[in-house]
Amino acid sequence: MLENFNFRVIWEYMPLYGQCFFATLWLSALSLLGAVLVGILACGMRLSQSRLLSWPAGIYIESIRSTPLLAQLYFFYFGLPSLGIMLPEWVTGVFALTLNSGAYYAEIIRSGIQAIHFGQIEAGISSGLSYFQRMRYIVLPQALGMTVRPMLGQAIVLVKDSSLLSLISIMELTRAGQLLTSERFMPAEGFLTTAAFYLVIYYLLKAFSNWSEKRLIFKEAF
Amino acid sequence: MWSFYFHELMRSLPFFMKGVWMTVAVAGLSLIAGTVVGFICGIIRAGRNKILRAVIGVWVDIVRGTPFLVQIFIIFFILPGAGIELDAFSAAVIALSNLTASFICEIVAGGILSVPKGQREAATASGLSQYHQLRFIVLPQAMRTILPPLVGQYVLSIKDSSVVSAIGVVDITRVGWFTVQRIPEGIMVFGLVGLLYFAICYPLINLSGYLERRMTVMTIRL
Amino acid sequence: MISFKNVNKWYGDLHVLNNIDLEIAAGEVVVVCGPSGSGKSTLIRCINRLEPIQEGELVVDNMAVHDKNTNMTKVRAEIGFVFQSFNLYPHMTALQNTTIAPIKVRKMKKADAEELGRETLARVGLKDRIYSYPAQLSGGQQQRVAIARGLCMNPKIMLFDEPTSALDPEMIGEVLDTIKMLAKGGMTLVVVTHEMGFAREVANRVVFMDDGHIVEVAPPIDFFTNAQTERGKAFLSSILSH
Repeated sequence: MLENFNFRVIWEYMPLYGQCFFATLWLSALSLLGAVLVGILACGMRLSQSRLLSWPAGIYIESIRSTPLLAQLYFFYFGLPSLGIMLPEWVTGVFALTLNSGAYYAEIIRSGIQAIHFGQIEAGISSGLSYFQRMRYIVLPQALGMTVRPMLGQAIVLVKDSSLLSLISIMELTRAGQLLTSERFMPAEGFLTTAAFYLVIYYLLKAFSNWSEKRLIFKEAF
Repeated sequence: MWSFYFHELMRSLPFFMKGVWMTVAVAGLSLIAGTVVGFICGIIRAGRNKILRAVIGVWVDIVRGTPFLVQIFIIFFILPGAGIELDAFSAAVIALSNLTASFICEIVAGGILSVPKGQREAATASGLSQYHQLRFIVLPQAMRTILPPLVGQYVLSIKDSSVVSAIGVVDITRVGWFTVQRIPEGIMVFGLVGLLYFAICYPLINLSGYLERRMTVMTIRL
Repeated sequence: MISFKNVNKWYGDLHVLNNIDLEIAAGEVVVVCGPSGSGKSTLIRCINRLEPIQEGELVVDNMAVHDKNTNMTKVRAEIGFVFQSFNLYPHMTALQNTTIAPIKVRKMKKADAEELGRETLARVGLKDRIYSYPAQLSGGQQQRVAIARGLCMNPKIMLFDEPTSALDPEMIGEVLDTIKMLAKGGMTLVVVTHEMGFAREVANRVVFMDDGHIVEVAPPIDFFTNAQTERGKAFLSSILSH
């Protein structure tokens, strides 16, 4: 198959791939931003003393983690219209990705917070810092620092998961491969090119993860 | 209207049960194959042969760096071009086994490398062969580190199996997709889909958490 | 300055502080010693209410620590606390470690706080390490940063919970010297330690605890040469024998 690999067609479709590459990038970036915010919020609620806060957060996190993203995506894609809510596909897609990764970020941040030595909090208490100040200046920076690797790992997962948006006909990298396959019937050219673009993002994020790991000097203290 | 649709959905339950069986079949076969291949590759990856280690490293990166949906499309559409005829079910099992194996490979390699070097040296000093060292000294200790994420990976693989619906395998997600064309209540239909996945995954997630706590306690006792 | 009256504390069934009565005057240096599990760490952790007490009265600088309604932030700002395991914030430089509380609690201007932090770090002999992270410092240096962190709040009292137990022997001296410097400056100090040479040199009184009780309170010379109780003698011989 590869001896007939048609680079000319790939070149012809390159503008489409470029466009779709950026679509994947900004759809993922938007969802990532939302997911980290949702994650911090859900984690804060889950660790709260009040059951009124911790229970809904727990149900949210557990139900997301126990079901596939594709089922969640269809749940919103077919479900929101049946509630009379009409949204553009990409909004539905970003919404589903945000809620999905948000639950994982909540768990990542929680594990980071719980890994912080209790002495850190005691030191904060002893200097008279308030609960909010201890969270803001001592606990969260360390939790975020310790979890850089899993956070970037989840970002890689998020970028890959965004491929499922092609199944609700959003234009992005995987959709480009599907188009090349259906228009020219060249699945090898279509999907291998798509895969190559994803690998570029993967290796960039992986390199960034390794780099930031080395930069975080304070991690040695644990 | 709602109760009518609910009644209709209840009449479709046998169809959903077929979907459950398909999900269990695809995921079950892939987990078995993925575990076997993943353990073999993981042991090699933690071993001394640099070339084999590098080859496995590249394979792991490619599988981790590209979306599962793209991998399925490549296997389903491109392998037939190379003369390998595949039905959707076989393509799904091959793709999911490949994915599962690559992740388990990294888990196993990490587990083996986490065993202190002194353990191997002690075993060498008492004259144990390479195989016996691995079988009786290294692997039993590595299992503590391996087991919790291994079960976690099983959950991820079961959830990822939903993506095989994209090439027409009639699993739980595909059944939901068919049903929603007939019963346009997305929340209800995919609520049921989610519930079925939840029933499979939630016990496994808790098992993983339980193993993690248990293994930590055991390590401290050592 | 610090006054315990009939203080009792339990962990479940375990009676960790048993009828504690102790008065510590302003400017006094008190060393607390005793076997492990005797309650000595709990005693000083109660002073800034890292641990709550269940019975009795504990008054620090005219503020009632036993009273749930007391604003502890205000009390804690008057008390520096140095931990056995340093508990420096690993994501902040030495300077940031010392300035965070002055800026956030005392509402000091950043520039002023940094000026203060620099001076204080210089006082504990770390002038050239102010931009180092804890992971780049030796144990003794970390503990001196922790002391500077406490001093920057300009406290009336400093509490030390086994400040040298986590240190290698060659680093103990530099930390003890720093504490001695504070003692000579007239600050009220309560130090939990087994460093008897240090106690003899700077303490006004030694408090010996065992099993949740205060067994003996005496000037160091008297305690070391002429312990009044069997338990005190046994303890002294056990720490002097190694």
